Amino acid sequence: MTSAASASAVSPSVRMSVRASAVSVPVWAWALLAVAVFTLYVLAQENGAVLSAPAAELLHELTHDARHALGVPCH
Amino acid sequence: MSFGSVLRRGVLAGVCAGLSSALVTWVAVEPVIRQALDIEAARTEVIHGGGQSLPLRLPAHGGGEEPLVSRAVQVVGGAMTSVLVGVAVGVIFAIVYARVRERLSGRGDLVGSLTLAAVGFGGVSLLPALVVPANPPAVGDPTTVGHRTMLYAVTLLLGVAVPIVVVAVDRRLSMSSMSTTTRLALDVVVAAVLLVGLVVLLPGSPDVVPDDVPADLLWDFRVASLAQLAAMWLTLGLVFGVLMERAATGDRTLAPVAA
Repeated sequence: MTSAASASAVSPSVRMSVRASAVSVPVWAWALLAVAVFTLYVLAQENGAVLSAPAAELLHELTHDARHALGVPCH
Repeated sequence: MSFGSVLRRGVLAGVCAGLSSALVTWVAVEPVIRQALDIEAARTEVIHGGGQSLPLRLPAHGGGEEPLVSRAVQVVGGAMTSVLVGVAVGVIFAIVYARVRERLSGRGDLVGSLTLAAVGFGGVSLLPALVVPANPPAVGDPTTVGHRTMLYAVTLLLGVAVPIVVVAVDRRLSMSSMSTTTRLALDVVVAAVLLVGLVVLLPGSPDVVPDDVPADLLWDFRVASLAQLAAMWLTLGLVFGVLMERAATGDRTLAPVAA
């Protein structure tokens, strides 16, 4: 009884110290990565390929200074 | 450590990185953009015969008509964009770091995180900046924007590919009986040859800088742009690394119980 209790107290910490260097990346994380890349595209490059022309123009004006600062080629 | 806790740290570090990049933009980039917009406005004035006074709200693209968005809104919008870019980069950073942590965190998460941030800065910020340097308003030629965008995107992808190639080469070399020092030296040589080769071989921007844009202004803008990108990556690497170190220390304090 005592040994079983001590074993269960020990095992989580053993698992933790072993797992400290490895992080398993779930599959959905790669979908999230794609969403993040798409967000960067919209913020930095979108000029009408996805949005309607007026919406893209408004987005371009709002993000204008950051696009220049980030080094994105512009007009 | 669970993936979710790594991701949360990435988002938090990304917000900090975005705020620091917005701050550097505000302090260093915006003053140069203002000078460049003055040049654009002066051009418009010449076209319109020079008789009219300067418009109070300068359109970002030098058009004579009422601007869609005022300069004040544009400055705030730019800062918000910087923060959002920081968050998106933070998410990507956390996912990539979780994937490579085992190999990168030999000397702790802070060193590992700063290393990944340095690779990120070099590959997707510095390399494109060397091939297609950042330009303030009043410089880019609208007719070549498609060409320059393609060049920028290709350079960015190659900047991501270089570290992947170097890691693959390193793995190959580690299978041979080569000493660690020789292997690392060869890794550095491969990385240097690839990077210098790309900068030399990739064609530059086809644009000619207009005569009314002073060289000083262009230089100031490019330095400010790099400073802003460096601030983003440095803050991201530092904050993420420190947060991960603290989490790992929490893990380690449990380890003596096992020993």
